[in-house]
Amino acid sequence: MPKAQLFITCLGDQFYTSTLQNMTHILERLGVELTFLPEQTCCGQPLFNNGFEDKTRAVALNFMRAFAKSDAPIIGPSGSCVGMVKHHYPSLFKEGTSEHALAVDIASRIFEFTEYLVSVLKVTDVGAVYPHKVTYHASCHYLREMGLKTEAKSLINAVKGLEFVPLNEEETCCGFGGAFTVTYPEVSRSMMENKVKNIIASGADTVITCEPGCLMNMAGGLHNAGSNIRAMHIIDLLASK
Amino acid sequence: MSNPILENIRRSLGRTEKASLGLRPVILKPRPPESVDSEIASFLDEIKKLSGVGQKISSAEIESALKNLVAQHNIRKAAVWNTPRLQQLQITNYLSSLGVELISPNADKHKIAECDLGITEADFILPETGTLVLYSSAEKPRAVSLTPRVHLAIVTPSALRADMHQVFAEAKDSRYLVFITGPSRTADIELTVTLGVHGPKNLYVWMMEN
Amino acid sequence: MLRPCRVNDIIMTNTPTYIGFEEYSEHVPASIPSAVQQATNRFVGGRAARVAELPQWEQLRQAGSDIRQHTIENMDVYLTRLEQKVLSAGGNVHWAETAADARRIVLQIAKENNVKTAVKSKSMATEEIGLNHALEAAGIEAIETDLGEYIIQIAGTGPSHIIVPAVHLKKEEVAALFSKHLGIDAPSDPIELARIARETLREKFLTAEMGISGGNFLIAETGTLVIVTNEGNGRMCTTMPDLHVAVVGIDKVIPDWESLTVFLKLLARSATGQKLSTYTQFITGPRRADGEFGPKEFHLVLLDNGRSKILKDPVGRDVLKCIRCGACANVCPVYKNVGGFAYGSFISGPIGAILTPQMLGTQTARELPYASTLCGACADVCPVKIPIPTILRHLRRRVAQGDEFSEPSMPAPIRFTADLAALALAWNWIYRFGARILPIINPFFRRDGWLTGMPYPLSRWTKVRPLPAFSARFRQWWNVRSTKEKGTTR
Repeated sequence: MPKAQLFITCLGDQFYTSTLQNMTHILERLGVELTFLPEQTCCGQPLFNNGFEDKTRAVALNFMRAFAKSDAPIIGPSGSCVGMVKHHYPSLFKEGTSEHALAVDIASRIFEFTEYLVSVLKVTDVGAVYPHKVTYHASCHYLREMGLKTEAKSLINAVKGLEFVPLNEEETCCGFGGAFTVTYPEVSRSMMENKVKNIIASGADTVITCEPGCLMNMAGGLHNAGSNIRAMHIIDLLASK
Repeated sequence: MSNPILENIRRSLGRTEKASLGLRPVILKPRPPESVDSEIASFLDEIKKLSGVGQKISSAEIESALKNLVAQHNIRKAAVWNTPRLQQLQITNYLSSLGVELISPNADKHKIAECDLGITEADFILPETGTLVLYSSAEKPRAVSLTPRVHLAIVTPSALRADMHQVFAEAKDSRYLVFITGPSRTADIELTVTLGVHGPKNLYVWMMEN
Repeated sequence: MLRPCRVNDIIMTNTPTYIGFEEYSEHVPASIPSAVQQATNRFVGGRAARVAELPQWEQLRQAGSDIRQHTIENMDVYLTRLEQKVLSAGGNVHWAETAADARRIVLQIAKENNVKTAVKSKSMATEEIGLNHALEAAGIEAIETDLGEYIIQIAGTGPSHIIVPAVHLKKEEVAALFSKHLGIDAPSDPIELARIARETLREKFLTAEMGISGGNFLIAETGTLVIVTNEGNGRMCTTMPDLHVAVVGIDKVIPDWESLTVFLKLLARSATGQKLSTYTQFITGPRRADGEFGPKEFHLVLLDNGRSKILKDPVGRDVLKCIRCGACANVCPVYKNVGGFAYGSFISGPIGAILTPQMLGTQTARELPYASTLCGACADVCPVKIPIPTILRHLRRRVAQGDEFSEPSMPAPIRFTADLAALALAWNWIYRFGARILPIINPFFRRDGWLTGMPYPLSRWTKVRPLPAFSARFRQWWNVRSTKEKGTTR
């Protein structure tokens, strides 16, 4: 049985308990033996992306020490969080130090959820059923930093009863950008409203994303627009029966 | 004599005056040529896409084509490059007989600016982009292809070059070169494409057989 | 309330003391994003079509990136070679360390030649140094001849887009500007307005004593200036007056003509979706013969203005690879929602966000590196592969904690918040404790399952959209499950 560790992310932890539960169920059904290390907090992306590189180190060390307890691969429900660890953790530490070696090790065995399903487990059909009109928002770091261009759509298209409709400006940023929402709230608002407009125009009743951050942003935006369209993490779609 | 900017640059880069030049990275291979007929067809097609008018023409057809051009565009004054080929084609004679006043291509800029039509050749042509490449000299003054509202370029297949690589290899020491790709245009006002802002509004390209 | 014209004053100043992106971006008239989006969408579509035609596009980008990298790392050699060649072609070369030096040099040349009128083709370098103001102050009429630049010159505003600077103005507004400025009754028809510009400016081209241009590239191999335009005004400015002055940044130098093939194939396609712009000129020194037209005297003013200092930073200096195509701005969702004015500088969009802080410093421009969600769309389209998001993060580090080039400039309250966050996230017992008690807040703000109207600083989120309720129950759920399964207590 393959083993893996759950990386629940700070946003998942605070706001998306059922998504994390679904992630657990799906992986276990696929035969993965899961562990969850409670010492994990956050990957440190909000600090790192905003220039507080020195302050990020302590956060990264906490993350690495938590996940170093096992050598099993780490799976997270967010391309940006996984990307942070995979692409930026090694650069935080001086080469030749034990911290750097640990960072390189952790970076080599961390996966985004859809990436793990499609590339490692080689699975695209998890037996989900969701008879609705569905569209997809391609989150920026998931798409560009992690290079995950086809995984989400393969999984979405394998869902029974689902009718896929394309989203205009699918790859355009939704305006979340982490702290950007509170650094330039009005610009974030314009970008969010643009995304909401496109979602409504798609004719879908559900929009799927692979990022908790984008999910929070779009779901809130759709609510404010008085729309009944559901914003959903791909994990919750794949857990639908 | 010291140059503070160059000194700053060297200091920033950690170089000394004696530091050698690294190897310049390799450039991609140029576009390979296709058959002459295919290149001519591509070239004329690109001219069309640029809202120019390109056509094949024989020397026998020049006179009537000029007549139509003069009539269509109400040409009263024209300037023509004084090159051997254009002399041989008797361009200036035909224009005179059509009542068009000929201004010397070397006349001063105010006089050239009064011309409605400027006729040149092209020293090179690029089929991929529909580009005319013109040298500049006393025989080939720059203003003739620039100020009149109608520019006619008479070109031959021998001017074809598959890629700008070849043009540059031949023309790099020429002191002045201009690429002309279609008539003058702008989209500055509400993105509405407008032709003939400062350069010619109408571009005609006549491709001779040889 | 910040009026849009005050933003223009800031852009026109060239040396602002502070660029308040947040403030400017909150006062953008709605007409600007909608006009900018129309323009950018068209250019993006055009670019995509041209890229699809070229199977070797990615190789071209790599070649472009490699050559520019090589050139800036050997800039001293290429500039030395360039100068030699321009001089032997009979041109003059002036070196301007600062914007003030450049202005002084151009004014000196103008004075020596009794220049009363100068016609200018579009040049961002001349905007950077505020040349027009200096010329006007010296009693010289300096006329922008690129239609978009001409319009914003009359309007007295800065550019809203790098390539189409007046795109934010409706044709009725342009007609009104022409009518007022020229004392005529101009119709609201773009074709007619262009004709009016053609006739009005033609007189100026023919009588101006000096033509001023910028330059897209400087070929070191032969001392050749390359100018890429569409309207013909660039050719007019360099053909009609007897005097031609080109103000060009030192970063525009390239090694040779073969390198140029790569950039000419990348530039127009990336900028507007044209295969080539209408006119590309290759100018080496003044004219040789009298009958050919062209200037008798050619002056190249090489502008440093902070570029040689930027070279010191191995990460930041990638910004000097830029060939000013505007493709990054065309895809940037932030730029598309605010337009050019919000960046407080002659150069806007993603490239502006990384260039301005390096030229003016991170005290003045500390807000600009944050004017991005780091989405990365710009890096995907940059023809010379400038890693813009990497440089944005690099400059954010300069602002937030300082580096070898600058002290930090992040305001204390934000640094303090970051300290608290770092503490809570690094000491996992603090984080876990916080996660348990946060749901206490819910009842005070919950409406319809969402949290709204929260106090500062969360108000900056909730004023735009609601927050989901705090509900960190996974850890408990996992513990209960594990206990049940294993039959042990934790």
